Amino acid sequence: MAVLADSTKSFAHPIEHDHEAHLREEHLMLDPRPRGEMNAMVMEAMTTTSWKFWAVAAFLAVVVVICLGYYWGYMITSGLGVAGINRPIYWGIFLVNTVFWIGISHAGTFVSALLKVFKAEFRRPFTRAAELMTTFGLVQAGLSIFMHMGRVWLSYWLMPYPNERGLWPNFHSPLAWDFLAINTYLLSSTMYLFMPLIPDLAMARDRSTGWRKSLYRVLALGFRGTEGEWAHLRFAMNLFAFAILPVMFSVHTIVSWDFAAAMRPGWSSTIFGPYFVIGALQSGISAVAMVLIVVRATMKNMKYFIRPEHLDALGKLMLIISMAWAYFFFNDYLVQWYNGDKWTDLLLHFHEEGPVGWMWLAMLFFNIAVPWATLWNKSIRRNPTALFAIGFFVNVAMWFERYIIVPTSLSINRFPFTYQFYKPGVEIPLSFGTLALFILLYMLASRIIPLVPVWEVQEGQMAHSLKKFGNESIITISDLEE
Amino acid sequence: MTDKKMLLAIFPDVNPAAVGIKTLRELGIQDDHVDVISGLPITEAMMGRKKHPSHVPTIAFGGAVVGFVLGGLLAFWTPISYPINVGGQPIISGPPSVVVLFELTMLGMLLSTFVGVFLDSKFPNYEPKEYVTEVSDGKIALLIDCLGDDEDKIISALTNVGAESVRQAEAHQL
Amino acid sequence: MANHNIPEVKANWEETSGVWGMSIDMDVCSGCQACVAACAMENNIAFVGEEDSGYGRSLHWLRVEHTFEGEYPEVEATPFQPIGCQQCGHAPCEPVCPVFASVHSKNEDLNLQVYNRCVGTRYCANNCPYVARVFNMRDYERPEPLPNQFNPDVTVRRRGIMEKCTFCIQRIHQGQDKAKADGRELLDGEVVPACAQACPADAIVFGRLDDPESKVSKLSKAGRGVKLIEELGTLPRVTFLEEEKTYGRTG
Repeated sequence: MAVLADSTKSFAHPIEHDHEAHLREEHLMLDPRPRGEMNAMVMEAMTTTSWKFWAVAAFLAVVVVICLGYYWGYMITSGLGVAGINRPIYWGIFLVNTVFWIGISHAGTFVSALLKVFKAEFRRPFTRAAELMTTFGLVQAGLSIFMHMGRVWLSYWLMPYPNERGLWPNFHSPLAWDFLAINTYLLSSTMYLFMPLIPDLAMARDRSTGWRKSLYRVLALGFRGTEGEWAHLRFAMNLFAFAILPVMFSVHTIVSWDFAAAMRPGWSSTIFGPYFVIGALQSGISAVAMVLIVVRATMKNMKYFIRPEHLDALGKLMLIISMAWAYFFFNDYLVQWYNGDKWTDLLLHFHEEGPVGWMWLAMLFFNIAVPWATLWNKSIRRNPTALFAIGFFVNVAMWFERYIIVPTSLSINRFPFTYQFYKPGVEIPLSFGTLALFILLYMLASRIIPLVPVWEVQEGQMAHSLKKFGNESIITISDLEE
Repeated sequence: MTDKKMLLAIFPDVNPAAVGIKTLRELGIQDDHVDVISGLPITEAMMGRKKHPSHVPTIAFGGAVVGFVLGGLLAFWTPISYPINVGGQPIISGPPSVVVLFELTMLGMLLSTFVGVFLDSKFPNYEPKEYVTEVSDGKIALLIDCLGDDEDKIISALTNVGAESVRQAEAHQL
Repeated sequence: MANHNIPEVKANWEETSGVWGMSIDMDVCSGCQACVAACAMENNIAFVGEEDSGYGRSLHWLRVEHTFEGEYPEVEATPFQPIGCQQCGHAPCEPVCPVFASVHSKNEDLNLQVYNRCVGTRYCANNCPYVARVFNMRDYERPEPLPNQFNPDVTVRRRGIMEKCTFCIQRIHQGQDKAKADGRELLDGEVVPACAQACPADAIVFGRLDDPESKVSKLSKAGRGVKLIEELGTLPRVTFLEEEKTYGRTG
């Protein structure tokens, strides 16, 4: 943790005369380095691995093989009975994980596309690190859906394709919408990850040898950076930034409709769409912060690219989203409480006082109390260790939230004779398996593709300058794209 | 007539490169004989050049239309071709069709935008090309298509306005 | 069925009487579970064993509900109530299946589960307000000589699929075929599902709801008839005849 602790020094008490120096130290965009040097730094970060890296990767690989390979194979061959589901709790942790991972995947697009649309300049060094989370998070969400299915070997029946049975999917079903939406999102977020990567892959191609050279030559597609190539790419990236946002909103809204469209107390709620979207951002942005803190601490040269200002900005976003989450949570709760339906009332009591009532309280504590109590403070936001801890708690709380919505709410229905409790079985190793696979994929990708979009950073540095207004130096930003 | 030549001029920054393009124009070399290669997205306006034509918007729109039609087929044709009553809902139902239409329209548009970039930029293309690796270090290169006679004239003019080097471009494996 | 005067883009809220229906007299039901056993025999329902059954995984298509209300010592028992699939006219389980495994049959107006289409998303079970659906968690063992009593008219289900009460649709078809072969109309009471056949108190009556003269129609329309949570608009086809405590059950 010693590496994490260097953050708060820089912005102590700016003295008048070195205000400018402080601004440059604070903001990556005002601290330009020659492009060649930044290229070399990113290449070095990408190619440097220590024995610790490989030890962790090997450990995660073993976890993946055991948890996903062995336990999933065991579950497929012996049936879902080895999981904890029963009647009436037909959906368990697999669906919790699906919603959780889709939530994680939302932040990548949010950070990258929405901040691009709003021209938030602090996004530049970590858009790719966030987008990688989208793609790998969606992989885990997809795997969790497959785990959840009773006959996973027939999962391709959800695909709309002309077949021997003459039968198409049922587009009345929210699950069929889910299939379309998640696939659209997976494809488009992967394309959105790849397009800004092409120039960086060309950069890596120009300065690597051996297998990396061959790999980047293929992946860079022959990109040189001609006027035309940039023009097409620029248009496409702009269009994606705008178009992928409604797709992102639709994905989590449709996930919420899986619940909201059902005739169940506690689920049939009209506010679920935006509530889920905000919940996704709540966990996702915290996860972005956590990933950036780890990347900054463990990868070479990353302290130049990812600075306390970025943690500060993400901390502010976390605080705002936490307030929005509290608003939607309260809205959902109030309306459910107010309508006085006896089963809904029972369910609310079960949430709060049932056997997992501690989870409900922990959810509120970590989702609301912890961020509100800490993130208003600038020095906490800028402290990597503290922000990592807060992000971790928020993610745990958001997992709890989904657990409360899925298996806990399913315990209660209109027939008390059928009530059961839920005891997870192989869900536990399989959950750890998806987490391990996510981290493993991310680790390997961080050493295969340039994790910092160097050209975007350089573009931002070109656009930023300091301008004197009287005695004060003010940051000015030129809009290069107009 | 003399043979054609391809020159590659390297500039350290945007401003001298823009001047270089102006100089070339004064030497009678039209914009369509010059291409700019850069490691970051400098706009055509910075170089004082016409906006580069791109088919990507058209392809994106076409993809959106195709996606919309495919969505329509899924939402309207498939239930008619095999009508199944579920829960008293009409065979062709409004709200679910909106979801299908939206997702497929977006998918069509985004996929075709991506494919459009590949088509317009002729990706992937692993043929040898005129390129120098300094470009990804932030230099700006001009590829100049000229007549052999003009070579010396161009080299001296561009060096005068700040080109770091002007030389015969060679295609090589990237 | 579908009312074509209603524009196609709106849901069809037209009430239909249904074709096949059932009435269950809670006054005479003694909770003997004979219907549950007969249903399991008739429909090749797997036996899940003690442990899974205790964990809420029994595969019975019918459950005889019996609960106690109030604080001790003022405890009152609810009547025995066999609950299976209510064969809703507007079944919530149907639209949510992504692969059309839960569909509505036109001729019988029943809610069908197509086993070989099911991929096991279990959404139908979550959306069933009656908790009537059961899921094959495993491939349960059927030791000898149990396989000898398989009903050849009913599919044996494997792991990973949903199942539920079918109103013994195989018996409906047998009855219809027989009537057709004899060149006559199906008689009221000719088709008897396994549960009704086994009921010693004749609490379960099965027949056609679209025939106003049938026994089940008359019972359903009698004053005692109630339908379970019909306020959800599911149009259940099973009518429960409320308890009058005529037979001395004091509770």
